[in-house]
Amino acid sequence: MIEITLEVNGETRRLSVESRRLLADVLRQEFNLSGVHIGCAQGACGCCTVHLDGKPRLSCLTFAAQCDGMSVRTVESVGGVDADHPLQKAFRSEHGLQCGYCTPGFIMTLIPFVEEMTAEGRMPDDEEIREAMSGNICRCTGYQGIVEAVRKAIGENLKEGAQA
Amino acid sequence: MTQHMDRPKHIGARIQRFEDTRLLAGTARYIDDIRLPNMLHLRFVRAQMAHAKILEIDTETLEDIGFPTQVFTGADIGDLSIKAHQDYPEMQYSEQPLLARDRVRFVGEAVAAVLADDAYRAEDAAEMVFVDYDPLEVVTTMDQARDPEVPGLFEGWRTNVFVERQMKGGDIATAKAEAAHVITRTYTTQRQAGVPMEGRGVAAEYDPANRTLTVWSSTQIPHLVRTYIAEELGLPESRLRVVAPDVGGGFGVKGQVFPEEVLVPWLAMKTGRPVKWVEDRREHLTSSIHARDHSHTLEAYVSEDGRILGLKADISVDVGAYSTFPFTAAGDPGMAAKVMPGPYDFQHYEATFRALATNKCPIGTYRGVGRPSAVFSQERLMDDIAKELGLDPIAFRLKNVVRNFPYTNALGFTYDPGSYAETLEKVRDLLAEDRAAAAASHKDPHKRIGVGLACFVEQTAHGTPDFTRRRVPIETGYIAARVEMTPDGQAFVDIGLQNHGQGHETVMAQVAADALGIDPGDVHVRHGDTLTTPYSVGTWGSRGGALGGGAVHVAATRIADKLKAIAGHLLQTDPQKIVLQNGAAHPEGHPDRHVAVAKLARAALRNVDQLPAGMEPGLEVQYSLDGPNDGTYSNAVHAAVVEIDTKTGKMRLKRFVVVEDCGTILNPLIVDGQVRGGVVQGIGSAMLEHFIYDEEGQPLTVTFADYLMPLATEIPEIELHHIETPTPLTPLGAKGLGEGGAIGPAAAIANAVADALGIEVSKTPLNANALWHLARKGEKNRAG
Repeated sequence: MIEITLEVNGETRRLSVESRRLLADVLRQEFNLSGVHIGCAQGACGCCTVHLDGKPRLSCLTFAAQCDGMSVRTVESVGGVDADHPLQKAFRSEHGLQCGYCTPGFIMTLIPFVEEMTAEGRMPDDEEIREAMSGNICRCTGYQGIVEAVRKAIGENLKEGAQA
Repeated sequence: MTQHMDRPKHIGARIQRFEDTRLLAGTARYIDDIRLPNMLHLRFVRAQMAHAKILEIDTETLEDIGFPTQVFTGADIGDLSIKAHQDYPEMQYSEQPLLARDRVRFVGEAVAAVLADDAYRAEDAAEMVFVDYDPLEVVTTMDQARDPEVPGLFEGWRTNVFVERQMKGGDIATAKAEAAHVITRTYTTQRQAGVPMEGRGVAAEYDPANRTLTVWSSTQIPHLVRTYIAEELGLPESRLRVVAPDVGGGFGVKGQVFPEEVLVPWLAMKTGRPVKWVEDRREHLTSSIHARDHSHTLEAYVSEDGRILGLKADISVDVGAYSTFPFTAAGDPGMAAKVMPGPYDFQHYEATFRALATNKCPIGTYRGVGRPSAVFSQERLMDDIAKELGLDPIAFRLKNVVRNFPYTNALGFTYDPGSYAETLEKVRDLLAEDRAAAAASHKDPHKRIGVGLACFVEQTAHGTPDFTRRRVPIETGYIAARVEMTPDGQAFVDIGLQNHGQGHETVMAQVAADALGIDPGDVHVRHGDTLTTPYSVGTWGSRGGALGGGAVHVAATRIADKLKAIAGHLLQTDPQKIVLQNGAAHPEGHPDRHVAVAKLARAALRNVDQLPAGMEPGLEVQYSLDGPNDGTYSNAVHAAVVEIDTKTGKMRLKRFVVVEDCGTILNPLIVDGQVRGGVVQGIGSAMLEHFIYDEEGQPLTVTFADYLMPLATEIPEIELHHIETPTPLTPLGAKGLGEGGAIGPAAAIANAVADALGIEVSKTPLNANALWHLARKGEKNRAG
């Protein structure tokens, strides 16, 4: 067993974990974060994406023991129980989800992209948006609703920036 | 202005989905989120050989493992199995034991169930179980399966053919005799599957105090799972509850009753503790179900002037090791035989279809069921005929499509009104420039453009006779809805569907809200739980909107009639003249004289002294809606534009257009999402996805690195156009639409490749390797 300290969505806890235990399982079981989904456990589908010190990482390919002292964000921290983050709202209005299983992974993958484009003050083209989500598999939507949601979220951020 | 009470306000509106919030917030509960006190975790030991006798299962190593475990094998479970028989005299029966007894018949078949307190430990323990096998002759090809010299997979079998039957109508000999052209081709579609992002999983808990068993399963068909468990385990069904929690995609895969769904509850009863099993991705890709794997030989009889006179079909499907419940081994070949006549007008048809047993994962349902393969063959054939006769492929189809409705086809199935010619004409207009560019590129030595299309009808929401005729254990196809109002004027809709992405929680609320004159946000739709929902067949066969929506409409309208009677009584007006809208009832033309729906509901449920004399208290109506005898026929044309590098075979899908007709559109946001999602799965079928087995029956595609599904970067924008021809056969005019998107892409893309390279294309997937070979063949043809 290995002693680690994790800061998860603002809560800091010390816990002792088996060295082989996946970050995804620790987040799901020790922190009760059901928004962390495992799709393949092989790093191929992106369902389990969380932020580790602010960067999207695959929690199914990460051992919890590797994350001592790190800060973790999951989809639960993004827009609360009402899911009111602008990207979540855009997923809703553009029908960027159906069964919802891959959705937390897409949200966590795409938030930094939306922020980056907003900071650069530009609207990416379709190809760039699709490239940004090329590590995530969605089996329901055919991706188009997700592409439109990303465009909408960036567009609204840019509009707000222009007004500010 | 007078408002008509039947004018839809919410049906047809682009309403955002109510279910999205929990899915986006991470608060949805999927099967792996079910956690019960004192729960055991199950891990399977699965067969590593495709066909072998089990000599010994050694579990002694578990004695020293250092934590408690329990192991169960085929010897412990008696004759518990999945039985999926069709009542045909020539059908050869297979039973899939819940755990293999004596022999294994495909890699991935469950051999032993290992239980421990923790999922990691259960996996450790399963790896310590040693199974000694004695290999048997492996059957991996359709030819081997049909060879009478090859021993049967099951005792007493004659050959490895589950069943071979015929379907026919008209007189094929007449068509042949009259034909100026006879065109024969063979087409094959590869083994693939729906592959939802969440795999399967089952949890179960037995409560001895109340003698009740609760089973949670990631399933599309909770009531059918309940009945199967009750019958197989000999339990009273009234003591059983099956819950499908949030389900992370199904696509037909989760529309079977699996051995694990019976075994997990049995283990919970046996051990006296809750048990949970959640499969991993490798298990899903090798041991759930696969789909397609068809080979069709078609012979078309065509007149001098390009009219199809008749069609003969020989259909084989490699259905793997076992017949699956409830659609059976004959489901896929039978469906292909039934739908092969398609949208075309001819009256002579004869099909022979067979289900072949091999040592592979069993075949079950996947979006489209038989139709994607049938349409691939039928629509490749249409292009091959057009080419042989020197006709334009669209003109040739326009000459042959059904135009007068209702139309009864060669097999006696009656098509309700559709827009076959209109969808073709629309696509012809939309693609005029692409077709010109394609024709021009055919002289280009390096870059070729091709345009291909697929025109099809899709039998959806078919009723009970369609199942009894096929003698399949599904038996029926109805959907029931119960609508109940609460004293505050809100409503429950409890529906026998299971929502795993289709938007039922929104669409059913729209339908109920229109009938009751309330806001869709005031309707709470519940589904997926046998405790709260009326018995139904579940979500499959594109019947959610057409039949589920229809059942909700009828039930809610009956409640609305009662609300109107109460309102008429309170307002001293003829109930026939009462309008329900915006949460209130008022006499037609007098919106000022209104009474709130909440007040009417309260009168029905609490202040019953206010009801008209003799009226029963209560506001609850249940209605079961069976499908039309022959179903209702959706139709669509899909068109693909591809660009191919003739040197490397590298292909780019430049454009994909759909013109579809699913009758009345209940929510355009959801309809578009269903079609686009289906199309992208169809693109995966056409270009990427392929389960490969070697000659020993070992699966070679066991991870997402080998089984490739479309990524966002590989998919163009899917362009959608709708034509609405409401059907008179369902209450709202809606036809089924969930599966159609997946039916056309393989044919459209293959036709585009054939057009680009000037060759015939006879099989999918059209992956990089296949395209390189086809491009070389195209170049050789040009040179030669």
